[in-house]
Amino acid sequence: MKKVYSNKLTIFLFILPALLLFLLILVAPIFMSFYYSFFNWNGFGKKEFIGISNYIELFTSGSIGFPKALGNALLLAVLSVGIQLPIALGFALLLGKGRKGERGFLSIYFIPVLISTVIIGQLWLKIYNPSYGILNVALRALGLDKLTRIWLGDIKTALGAAFVPILWQYVGYHMLLMYAGIKSVPTEYREAAMIDGAREGQINRYIVLPYIKPILKISTIFAVTGSLKSFDLIYVLTNGGPLHATEVPSTLMISMLFLRNRYGMGSTIAFLLIILCFAFALIIGRIFKDKEG
Amino acid sequence: MKKVIALLLTVVMIVSSLVACGKDSGNNNGGNAGNTSGNTSGGSNSGSSETNSGGSNTSSDEKINLTMWCIATESDSNRHAYEAAIADLKAAHPEINFTWEATQNQEYKTKIKAAVAANEMPDIFFTWSCAFLGDFVDAGRVYCVDEVYKKYASELPEVMMGNVKYDGKYYGAPLTMNIVAMFTNLDLLKEVGYDQAPTTYEELIKCCDALVAKGIIPFGCSGKETWCVTEYLESIIEKTAGASVLNDIFAGKATWKNDDVAKGVEIFQEMIKKGYFDPEGMALSNDEVKANFIAGKYAFYMNGTWNCADFYNAGIADKIQVAEFPVIDSSKSKMGELIGGPSDTLAVAASSKNAEKAAEITFELARSICKYGYLDGNGLPAWTPNYDTSSINPLTQTVADIVAKSSQMVLFGDTAMSADKANIYLDYVSQIYASAIDGKQFVDGLAKDIQ
Amino acid sequence: MSKDIINAVNNDIRKDSIPARKFKVKEVWVYFIFIFWALINLFPVYWMFTFSLKSNTEIFGENVAGLPREWLWSNYERALKVGNIGRYFFNSVVVAVSTIAIVMFISLMATFALTRFFWKGRKRMNQFFMLGLTIPIHASIVPIYVTLSRLGLLNTYFALIIPYSAFSLAMAILVCTGFMQELPMELDEAACIDGCGAWGIFFRIIVPLMKPAVATVSIYTFLQCWNELMFANIFISDSVHKTLPVGVQALSGQYMTEWGPVGAALVLATFPTLIFYAFFSKKIQASFIAGAIKG
Repeated sequence: MKKVYSNKLTIFLFILPALLLFLLILVAPIFMSFYYSFFNWNGFGKKEFIGISNYIELFTSGSIGFPKALGNALLLAVLSVGIQLPIALGFALLLGKGRKGERGFLSIYFIPVLISTVIIGQLWLKIYNPSYGILNVALRALGLDKLTRIWLGDIKTALGAAFVPILWQYVGYHMLLMYAGIKSVPTEYREAAMIDGAREGQINRYIVLPYIKPILKISTIFAVTGSLKSFDLIYVLTNGGPLHATEVPSTLMISMLFLRNRYGMGSTIAFLLIILCFAFALIIGRIFKDKEG
Repeated sequence: MKKVIALLLTVVMIVSSLVACGKDSGNNNGGNAGNTSGNTSGGSNSGSSETNSGGSNTSSDEKINLTMWCIATESDSNRHAYEAAIADLKAAHPEINFTWEATQNQEYKTKIKAAVAANEMPDIFFTWSCAFLGDFVDAGRVYCVDEVYKKYASELPEVMMGNVKYDGKYYGAPLTMNIVAMFTNLDLLKEVGYDQAPTTYEELIKCCDALVAKGIIPFGCSGKETWCVTEYLESIIEKTAGASVLNDIFAGKATWKNDDVAKGVEIFQEMIKKGYFDPEGMALSNDEVKANFIAGKYAFYMNGTWNCADFYNAGIADKIQVAEFPVIDSSKSKMGELIGGPSDTLAVAASSKNAEKAAEITFELARSICKYGYLDGNGLPAWTPNYDTSSINPLTQTVADIVAKSSQMVLFGDTAMSADKANIYLDYVSQIYASAIDGKQFVDGLAKDIQ
Repeated sequence: MSKDIINAVNNDIRKDSIPARKFKVKEVWVYFIFIFWALINLFPVYWMFTFSLKSNTEIFGENVAGLPREWLWSNYERALKVGNIGRYFFNSVVVAVSTIAIVMFISLMATFALTRFFWKGRKRMNQFFMLGLTIPIHASIVPIYVTLSRLGLLNTYFALIIPYSAFSLAMAILVCTGFMQELPMELDEAACIDGCGAWGIFFRIIVPLMKPAVATVSIYTFLQCWNELMFANIFISDSVHKTLPVGVQALSGQYMTEWGPVGAALVLATFPTLIFYAFFSKKIQASFIAGAIKG
């Protein structure tokens, strides 16, 4: 047995396909992006080495507007943690207590997660349509004509309007994770607390929340990194417009690559995004650890 | 940890060299395959086509394969022109095995760039002239057509070749050309007492004020697609600062810092402020705006003259007048200074196995696509027409008259500039439309970011 | 931790675990909120379905939110014929099924090496694979694009299958590891005594016992591929190989002013998932939970 299971060649052969795919598609590109980020390159002409100029230009050039795009992504992250997760947690707690029909409700709340973001985006485009969209139509029907807006075309409202579907779509996802965690709290804990006379709020605070802390950590990491790399919905809804009001790093990256032919700059943004995602994942992990300790 | 990083680095280096090898061997394979097929058929033909271009039909079993990529998808208004031209070509050249593929505009841009990067271009490809083609020429991927052009020079005036000329050499064959024109809905104008489009700027302003007072929106313009804003802005700047000034700025020969340009921008913004533009336009696509114009929501619509056929087919040609935007500063500009020019172009890949034959076919195709396109009303001919043009829709004929009287044309800014610069420019234009910056900030910003 | 949670979800929930209480006003409010939120989540789907069957005149004024007065099935015909949705659907299926097959096979092999074999560095290797859970796809877009274009693989199914497989791999290995560790080593030993080699054990003993893992991984991978936009948008530009998200996006651009056929396309792209979900909601939810919780 031992002999069979320690043959180096067999191990190598079993692990090779996965390793190769992993290195070629996931790992190597990170280094290649890093490498390209030092060049001025249009994708097919000659590469010109320009040192860290791309990085400098990225943060200083007004015509690229990277700080603003990054700011938008961070704002989205803050809103996700501040609005999306509390809503999800609230529902998860309400559902997790054991009410009639809780599974049914949970299943409904999860539907938006399953629908492709492109479709969610197309739907919301129609909801926001200034002339025929259901939102403005409803406002007009209620006599609130003053509140109608060109939601996605107005610099003042575009960012908010684009964020709403993003935040909405994944409430169900976080809710599901939290609900699963809450359901795994052993019933004896709850019962014991109830016998001691604890109220629902107290049970949630002192028993449920500490128990599902690992899940809260995962949800937070997903919400934050997901916000940093958000692309699909913004791309469909506004593609960064109007006037870059809704620009996020990913949409900026795509326009650098395929509109402005700046592969070097696109790679710079890509590389920074990875670094940011890793950094935030580490920081959030640290924060939760500190709280535990 | 260090060990891990070192290991990763080696792996990456191996991987990247593998990738490079893969690429090389891929190319070799491609080259070999090309050579073998070239030896049997292509080689002999490309030699013979020079001596007897008509005689190549002697060996019909040794067909020359030519592939073309273009943007004439089934929903494109140029589709019919391409189909007709290709049918003619196939009839005239049985020795050629011609295949073609159409991709939607936006996707095509990505696709052709990828093909250029991989050096896997089709023999003949559609391209936009000036900067778009220029990048490919710089990379050495486009076949120079100087020799072939000589044969067609009598039908294709040199002035039309200006946008495909790089370092004194020609790299493509233009198809149709278009200009920006002001389309006017005469029904709406009648409501405020005009029976034709205003011919002076003062009159235009009066007319717009009257329209606004009557609750009619004068202009429709898509803010979602910035090129639509440039159709307005460039015309206004040109009629304020003059065509030569704008041309020099686009070509990078003069600075953006120009008071007249700033003034033109402010005139445009003044018009927006006065409510001449549909505020919903900011969030609409051009298709939606155009549909609104056809439905009679706007009095004016400024856009490319390729729209003539669509308006004609929509059955509104009789109530539409097409005209030039009036002169704003008559000391700097005059009627006959237009925005537009030949942009749609066919070019030949340098990597084509039968580049010379392909170049000849390209010119023939360009000539007939131009002809059918013109007859369909999709634009004006870059090639001198030698056929009956009386059946062409009246709108396009009016445009032809306008162009015939023109003294100078400035090519669309986003075509004239390289991709990076063009997008910076478009950025500033969209800020103008949203009145986020004024004329001074526009010229200062562009002077700083582009030059 | 993760096992507890998954078990808890998979187990039937004991509805009466908490003693029934008296009817309370508070409960009414709770259900009011539940129903309100459910409506918010269901309304877009309902609206999409109804406007996919309406004409512009109904959508644009006469009948914005009601059921269609005239059921225009021709919108579907147009979405399928002119919009090519059938083709995109087929492409999405091809890409998803191939990706699932590749991911399943490769990840099972790797997991086998990672859980059954004795070798130095297998823990580290496992951690290395787990890094893949955090790598955003953006990072690889330029290099993969450049490499694919040099290899002439843009606009082929491979342009999507290969990267999708790579990005689903970490999750698949994670899930498979959980299931494979539960299989007792005695099975392997018995097979070994019967004369099976490593490959024999793998194909005859392990793989057949991994069905639950296959289901979980397949669902997760399927939804990833089915909905992915960024790669599909960039690596595929010809309409022959477009997947549903890109196709739907292109169609909406083309029919900006006609909502009916666009709605029909949206419905056609969405309903297979929803119908599937109606039957396997628990399984699907469990796969998402497994995908998120590393333990």
